[in-house]
Amino acid sequence: MLSETVLKEIEEIKAKYPSARSALLPALYVAQREFGWQSEKAMQAVAQALNLPEAEVRGTATFYSMYKHKPMGRHLIQLCTNVSCMILGAERLVDFLKNRYGLTQNGTTADGRFSLVIMECIGGCDMAPAMLLNTDFYGDLTEEKIGEILGGYK
Amino acid sequence: MANMVKLKIDGKEINAQEGMTLIDAAELGGIHIPNLCYIKGMKGIGACRLCMVDIEGSKTPMIACTTKVKEGMNVNTQSERVRENRKFVIDLILSMHPLDCMTCTKAGVCNLQNYAYDFEIKDSTFTRKKFGFAIDEGNPFVKRDPDYCVLCARCVRVCKEQGTNVLEFLGRGVGSKVATANDKPLEESGCTFCGSCIDACPVNAILEGERWRRGREWDYTKIKSVCLNCGNGCDIDVSTKDGEVVKINAGAEKGSAERYICAIGRYGFDSVISDARITYPLKRVGNALKEVSWDEALKIAAEKLKSAGKDTGFISTANILNQDAFIFGKLASEAVKTKNVDATVSLYADEDSMKYSDSADMDEADVFVVAGLNPSQWERVTPALDAVIRKRIQRGAKLITINADDTRLASAANVSIKGDEAAALGQIAKALIAKGAKAPKEMEGALQAVNASEDAEKAAAMLTEAKSPVIFTAPSLFNASKNISLLINTKVVAVPFEANARGVVAMGLITEGKTYKEMVNGGVKALYTVGEIPLSARPKGVDFLIVQNSHMTELARQADLVLPSAMPLESEGTIINYLGKVKQAAKTVEPFGESRQHKDIFTAISKEMGSPIKESKVKAAEAKAKPKFSPFEKKQGLDINPLEFTESINRSVIYSSRLLWLKEREKAAV
Ligand code: SF4
Ligand code: SF4
Ligand code: SF4
Ligand code: FES
Repeated sequence: MLSETVLKEIEEIKAKYPSARSALLPALYVAQREFGWQSEKAMQAVAQALNLPEAEVRGTATFYSMYKHKPMGRHLIQLCTNVSCMILGAERLVDFLKNRYGLTQNGTTADGRFSLVIMECIGGCDMAPAMLLNTDFYGDLTEEKIGEILGGYK
Repeated sequence: MANMVKLKIDGKEINAQEGMTLIDAAELGGIHIPNLCYIKGMKGIGACRLCMVDIEGSKTPMIACTTKVKEGMNVNTQSERVRENRKFVIDLILSMHPLDCMTCTKAGVCNLQNYAYDFEIKDSTFTRKKFGFAIDEGNPFVKRDPDYCVLCARCVRVCKEQGTNVLEFLGRGVGSKVATANDKPLEESGCTFCGSCIDACPVNAILEGERWRRGREWDYTKIKSVCLNCGNGCDIDVSTKDGEVVKINAGAEKGSAERYICAIGRYGFDSVISDARITYPLKRVGNALKEVSWDEALKIAAEKLKSAGKDTGFISTANILNQDAFIFGKLASEAVKTKNVDATVSLYADEDSMKYSDSADMDEADVFVVAGLNPSQWERVTPALDAVIRKRIQRGAKLITINADDTRLASAANVSIKGDEAAALGQIAKALIAKGAKAPKEMEGALQAVNASEDAEKAAAMLTEAKSPVIFTAPSLFNASKNISLLINTKVVAVPFEANARGVVAMGLITEGKTYKEMVNGGVKALYTVGEIPLSARPKGVDFLIVQNSHMTELARQADLVLPSAMPLESEGTIINYLGKVKQAAKTVEPFGESRQHKDIFTAISKEMGSPIKESKVKAAEAKAKPKFSPFEKKQGLDINPLEFTESINRSVIYSSRLLWLKEREKAAV
């Protein structure tokens, strides 16, 4: 279950809102950070911490696609293949990730280091092709550059 | 009275209450606005977009389930535009709905089918989608087939409103489905099998278990009646086919918070036709019970009662009807001439608490006090009280709980006081007086040394502001609770554990001779028991035991004479439920085998004894007690285990119906 410090963190989030229900989304993020994804245990822990029905917690968690709904690698690559990025070669990057790391859409590398999610536009069209690595932004990508960048994430 | 608003719907003048939605206002004028997600009595969510109407002056169509009436509004529910819109919605829904109407159990009462018919849609114009979700049917009560679901959220909302919180949407968009917390089967999700979700579902996605091929709505005869299995006495709608009960649904008016029944009320009817039913009168011959004719049985009964005379004891449960109770009392007092006649009520309630309880309206009440009671949907102890209060809280009412122990209901309360109940009531009284309530002198005196706790202050503030407060109290705390009504205008209701406790007391089944407890402890020579009394061993000292019940019980096996009686679903009469409402029980099916309604058996015996009782119209005497102060104390000797008691008076119903499945699961879990 959640550690004392994490529970305290959730308590603090709760205090910001008039009702516990309002704290559900941020609390789910905290749990995701701790458990790595929205596992049954993570959602149970949140339900307990906020005293909400488990069904409701799960319903809310599954409504949002940006929560992680299966175990993920240590680092999350979110690569855009929408129009601008596609025209400027994003598909080649997808092939590269597959050949070099064995990464496919929604997949994770065998060593658990990276997971890949293919995105619809991350708002970086001026620097296409672009990606998010965890919360860091990278643009003007080439195969070479992406290889270098990934090397920096162990 | 709320302000009235005049408006026009489809050219019809309608007077509606201010704050009403268009969908409800239209209904007043007999106009149906198509809908899928609307639930009468609950706040609209505007999810299905089927209820769109045109309002003069508005550019776009509006949602009738959330739009409130306004003076002078001119509404068109049938414009070309809204009809096209609705047709589009149904077309979309049909693209992901199996077109199974020919074998679907819900045919005839399915909203989707009706609307598709209205809009002449044979098949969707969109590409057909099929999800192939797993069916949840591991329990015999509720079958969920998500492939039929139209995602209206009715089931989710009713389950949430009553506080069971089992269902929720999983995912988003067309691919989402209704599921339990971890997509586990209902039996692993804290479901109480009340079936509220069945009553709510507009299509075939949630249905009673074991309904398949047991007829469709148009095959059924519908009869309104009342459930007698616990202290709540809920309204039920009974469906019968070929003289058998096929299903039972909640029967309270649509929109009322009282529209709820529990699993016992919904599925207990299985026990109407069962091997455990007593089909013929039986008499003891040596070690065995032998079938006899009614004539012979009545003769034996008459003879034995006559010879035991005033040493006879009569005991009954309080889930018999007023008419039965009335004649039972007469049989004892006029034909047998004994004062020993008592009901199981005396185990948990005194006469005053049943006689002088107020009548209350759940939908009107805005503050509830629950003192010394632990109603629970999960344990099925007066579950409707628990569910209805929780629903009322969701609709804006407040709750104060007072209990010496932890209760699950306390977590839903605005103020929960844990501790001695009588003392807490005293503290609330004290706080009310401090707020200016006028108290009789004795009360002021009695409360002199009392200090109100912070919670008692809060409760008092809530009660002072309330328009129609109701105090639900354990009978043992009735007098203490009644004191509050000397200070403020509040209803006080003692809650019994049997459906017709108030009626049975009003009919005079209160002993002037030996009490129930004394009689079952060997105080009488002949004993006549009526209904499933919570007793499994023949009392010592009883020379002749008559057991009158619908099912074979431990006690009946030890009887000298067994008289088969009709079940409540086979009997006609009235009850007075815990809220003081007189409710009609209907004979939904003919009595099983040779069984007869209680009162008919009593009348026949009295005839046989030569002092026939005339059936007269029963009328409960209007009881009004003079308000007077009594000490803030708990009455002793009225403690029973509510769970054990409720299960014991329903033993035959539980053990000869699918409710047995619950018992077996409980056993397996231990
Ligand atoms: S049967 Fe009752 S408790 Fe169970 S899911 Fe349906 S509404 Fe909820
Ligand atoms: S199961 Fe029935 S009530 Fe529940 S969302 Fe689906 S269609 Fe509506
Ligand atoms: S709550 Fe009581 S009266 Fe209501 S349906 Fe259940 S057993 Fe019957
Ligand atoms: S009934 Fe109004 S949107 Fe569904």
